[in-house]
Formats: sequence, C-alpha cells, structure tokens
Amino acid sequence: MKLLVVEDDLKTASFLKRGFAEAGFVVDTAADGPAALRALQSAAFDLIVLDLMLPGMDGLHILTWLRESGVASSVLILTARDSVEDRVTGLELGADDYLVKPFAFAELLARARSILRRPQTREPAILRVGDLELDLAAHRAARAGRRLELTAREFLLLALLVRKQGEVLTRTMIAQSVWDMNFSGDTNVVDVSVRRLRGKMDDPFPRKLLRTIRGVGYVLENPD
Amino acid sequence: MSWKTPTDVFRYVCARPRGFSLAFRLTAWYTTSSFLLVAAATALLYFGLAANLKRLSERLLADELDVCRALVHERAGDSHALREEAEIDSAIRKYEKFYVRVIGERGAALATTEGMDEELSAARVARAAAENQGRVFWLESPGGTPYRVLVAAVPTGIGNRAWTLQVAVELAQENEVLGRYRMWVWAVLCAAAFFCPAVGYVIARRGTAPLRQVADTARHVSSSSLSQRIQSGGYPSEIAALADTFNAMLARLEESFARLSRFSADIAHELRTPVNNIRGESEVALAKARTAAEYHDALESCLEEAVRLSGLIESLLFLARSESPGDHLKRESLDVGALVSDVRDYYEAAASEAGVALEVQCGPNVSGHADRALLQRALGNLVQNALSHTPPGGAIRLAARRSGERLEIEIADTGTGISPGALPHVFDRFFRADPARARIAGGTGLGLAIVRQIVFLHRGDIQIASELGQGTTISITLPAAEPQIKPQPAPC
Repeated sequence: MKLLVVEDDLKTASFLKRGFAEAGFVVDTAADGPAALRALQSAAFDLIVLDLMLPGMDGLHILTWLRESGVASSVLILTARDSVEDRVTGLELGADDYLVKPFAFAELLARARSILRRPQTREPAILRVGDLELDLAAHRAARAGRRLELTAREFLLLALLVRKQGEVLTRTMIAQSVWDMNFSGDTNVVDVSVRRLRGKMDDPFPRKLLRTIRGVGYVLENPD
Repeated sequence: MSWKTPTDVFRYVCARPRGFSLAFRLTAWYTTSSFLLVAAATALLYFGLAANLKRLSERLLADELDVCRALVHERAGDSHALREEAEIDSAIRKYEKFYVRVIGERGAALATTEGMDEELSAARVARAAAENQGRVFWLESPGGTPYRVLVAAVPTGIGNRAWTLQVAVELAQENEVLGRYRMWVWAVLCAAAFFCPAVGYVIARRGTAPLRQVADTARHVSSSSLSQRIQSGGYPSEIAALADTFNAMLARLEESFARLSRFSADIAHELRTPVNNIRGESEVALAKARTAAEYHDALESCLEEAVRLSGLIESLLFLARSESPGDHLKRESLDVGALVSDVRDYYEAAASEAGVALEVQCGPNVSGHADRALLQRALGNLVQNALSHTPPGGAIRLAARRSGERLEIEIADTGTGISPGALPHVFDRFFRADPARARIAGGTGLGLAIVRQIVFLHRGDIQIASELGQGTTISITLPAAEPQIKPQPAPC
C-alpha cells in the first residue's frame, strides 16, 4: 500500500512516516501544496493523508485539484481545524474521512486501514486468536475448549478485539463501537470493562492474548 | 410652567442619535412655552379690562337714560328741568364728557347738552341708531373723538306721545387707560422674551447636569477600570434609574472580564502541569543512558500526559465553540429511556467496581427532541462525577420523565455532597470542590461546565441541590419538543 503524507510540520510528518512505515505502508511525504502536487503527478497513491493548513496552497485546494483531475486515491484529512463547516466542506469535496488533531496514532492507523480495506469476503462464523474461539452466530466464546461466561457487552467487546486483532484500539474507539458512546470521558470506565473481560478470558490461562498499550489502549493478538 | 418630563426628553433624544444638545432643546421648549404662557395671560388680562371698561360706560349710559326717561315721563312739559339735567350731568364730569339730547315727536330737539351739536349732530346719531336698532353703538365726532351712544324712545305720559333720547359718553378716558395698559403688556412681553431663555437655559443646564456626570463616568470606563461606578444617590428618579442600569451593566461586564481573565489564568495553570510532566520526564530520561524498559516507561508516561492534554484541549474547544453564536445542535427525536440505559450500561462495570449501585428509573415512552451525542455526554459526565464522589455502598439514581412539554432528567447520589459555599460554583470552569483529590482522579474540572453548556444549548435549565454527607441531586429540564425559534448563543 502506497501512502502520501502531506504535512508541513516536520515532526508530525516524521512520526507519521515512521508510524505508517512500521505498520507496513510505503510512505512518501510532502511539506507543502506544490510538493504534494508534484508527488501526485509523478506517482499513484492508495491513500493521501492531507493536512488542511499548508503553506502555499490550502489543503482543500489540493483536494479540489485531486478530484478535478480524476485521481482516484482515497483521502484522509488531518487538521487542527474542527468546526463543523470545515468537516462538511472537506467531506463534500470528496475526502473519505476526517481526523482532528490531537489524535491517537492508533486511531489514524485504524481509519487508514478501514478506508483501504477491500470489500470484505464474508466474515467466517467462527473467529480464532490462538486458542480463543468466538462463535459470532451463537454468541459463544471459548478458550482452550472451555466455555467463557460473558455478559452481552463483554461478548461485544471481545468480538471487537478479535475482529481487529493485532490493531491497537483506543478507549474512545472501544466506547464508540461497544457502547455507542460518542465521548470517552475522563475515567477508566473502559479499563474496568476490559479488566473484567480479561479476568474471564486471559487471567485463568498461562498465555496472555490481551495487552494494554499504556496511554493508548488495548490490543488482542497471539503472542507467538 | 409647562415642562416636558425627563423621560419624554430621553425618548426624544434616544430617537435622534445626533442633533442639538439636550440643554438647547430644553431651553427652546422652556422659552417657547413660558413665553406663550406670559403672552396669553397678559392678553387675557387686557381684554378683560377692556370688556370691564366698556360695561361700566354702558351702565353709565343706561343710568342716564333712566334718569331722563323718568324726567320725561313725570314732567314732560318741563323742558327747563330737562335741560338742567342734561347740563348739570355734563358739568360735573370733567374728564368723561357726557351728552344728552331730547328730541320731540316732531323731530325737533327739545333739549341738548351744550356742545353736543358740534360733536354729534342729531341727524348723524339718528342715522346710526337706525342701523344699530336700540343697541349701544360707537360713533366718532368729526374731530375724531370717539363716543359711546345709546338712543331710546321714551313715553311722555301725555297721551301716547313718545320722545327720543340720545345719550353719549366720551371714550377718551377709557382709551387712555387701555393705551397705558397696552404699554405695560409690551414691557412685560419684552422682559419675558429676555428672561425666559435665560432662566430656561439655567434650568436646563441644572437638569442635565446628572446626565453629563453619567456620560463622564461612562467615558472613563475601560477594561482596566471597570470598577468605576456612578453614585446613584442625589439624582432625580429617572437619572437614578439610568445610573442604576448603567452600574448593573458595569457590574456584569466587570464580572465577565474577571471571569475571562481568571479563565485564561486557569487554562495556563491547567496546561502547565501536564506540559511540565512531559518536559521533566523526557529531561530526566535523557540525562543518562538507560535500559530499553526505562525509556519505554518514560515514553508511556509522556504519552499519558499528552492524552490528558488532548482531553483538556478538546473540552476547552467544545466550550468555546458552544459559546459562539449559531446553532450547534443536531437535534433528533430520541428515546430518552434507551439513552439513559445506554449510559447506565457504559458505567455499570465501573460502578460495581466502585461498590456503588447504579439504578435507572424511567417510565415508558420517554421521548424528546435533543442532540443525542451531547445529551449522552452530559449524562455521562454527571454519572462520572457522581461515581467519583460516592463512597462504596452508596447508590446513584438516574431518572427521566416527560412532564408535558418538558423533559426532566434527574441524577441523585448518596455521595459526600457539596458544601453550601461551593455549590454556586460547581458549574464554573475548572472549579473543584476538593482540588487535590480531583486532580488525582484525573478530572479536568470542565465536566460540569460542559454539562451546563449542553443544557443551555438545548435552552434548558439545570439545578443542583446538595447536603454535605447526604448526597447531591442534579435536575435538568429540557424542552421536549422541537423548538420553533432558533436557539440563541448560550449565556457564558
């Protein structure tokens, strides 16, 4: 997957490049509008991560130019401007998603992946991570052959973690998809739920699947 | 004196932002009205006097006519007596000449006061009398002397013969009195024309002096001297009301400015701690070579602080945006019962961990028109707040009901409560009843401010009641139906 980061702040550009590169993307960067246009004319990108406030040329102009010249790349807007009008303008001009600074890199990565994800082949009825088995249709979870007694929300939480295995999920993302909460709140509400889930599906077993990424969130993966 | 009330004056001045000064207008009105009044009074007196003088001379004529009538009737043949009467009467009046003429039935003058024929001939008088038909009339002698004349037929007592009496009185005296009076009238009017503007100006200056003082104070008010006030004592009630209104406005401005600068200071302070932590942590980590685990730890700590900063910035931006004018709500009709139980679900694990019961009381079909995400956030903040102030074994009750056009949401806890002194400030930004404890709990001190802002955006009302050691109850009332009017910016 080839990705262009258009960002004038060198530090931001640098960590975005490293982060995406480590997640398996091929990353080019451009520090201003003209550089971005040159890059776009010389190569094809799957995704453009676009900062809106750029020297030389506004990000929205780049977006307009992209759409007018028929470039098919997906665009994820990244900006410190977060008024509703800005968002609407961005999305109307054909951006695929919008993320406001400051953001969690894990969330940016997740959104980039979800934009680039190809139309899914049908999800298998049973998901597996190591010795953990999740039967989505029957709402049953088992580990090492032993059935796990989970509440409905705990099952939803586990299903989310299993579906996104290997991806770091922030507390905000978890609160949104499990409880439909549009804010994360200040306390460790998600942490408590994760701790309870962990008590049932990880603590009794020697090999731990669910890992806490301090300051970011959680990731479920097979340690092997 | 006729005088516009200051209220009228105000309305007038307010209607025209620029133009002549208030003192000038007041002077003009005062001058005009008082001068007209003086003129009307003197004119009235003059005409009254003239009418009185006329009536007096008419009575004189009537009296004389009666005397002559009696003489003619009693002693018709005694022309000597008639002549005597006519002459004596005329003689005793030095200044007001008086004439009588008696005309017989054949038209010949039987008796005439001396000198009358030169002034008023019998034929002229008879002609004028025919025109005026028995009324008192006015006639001028060929020399220009004015006379008041009365002509009447009198029965003689001999058969039914009737004679004619012509009585005339000179008007020179009356005219002189009136002429002198007219002079006085002009003198008074001239004096009034001079004094009315002068007095009017003095009064207007005195009347508008408080206004100038108010304006002076207003001119000296700036953002750094908002503590200035107009002394409201000693002013007339209208100006005092203006001064009070102005003072109240100043007080509100001062309060807003104070709050704004306190807010900026608070922001700087709140930012200082996490920034300082990031800086310190990185500095210490870089001071010497460390193991990978130690670097990992330092980075994680920095990340936590950065996340805390992000949360703070997000909350501040939310508040700033919600206070700017415009409609920020994405209202939709929603099932409030479902929303409340979603919030309960979200916090249930945290509540049971904290040993606090989280109950929901919600009747069926509680629906309303509100911004779903914002309402969720408000309730979430409230539950979170209640959780952090309720000791194990306590309970939090979330209730929602529809009461007519109002949506009532109540959240009550059995927590530590808030002291009466702190109660009015709990919705202020960065206010913490117990600063040390709240910071450990990781709160930004903006949760309740955001709740209040969300309620205001919905044009609702929020109330808080609390008792130390007993618990706290927060009640929110929101309009349930879709509003007809566009929401105004919420008060800050």
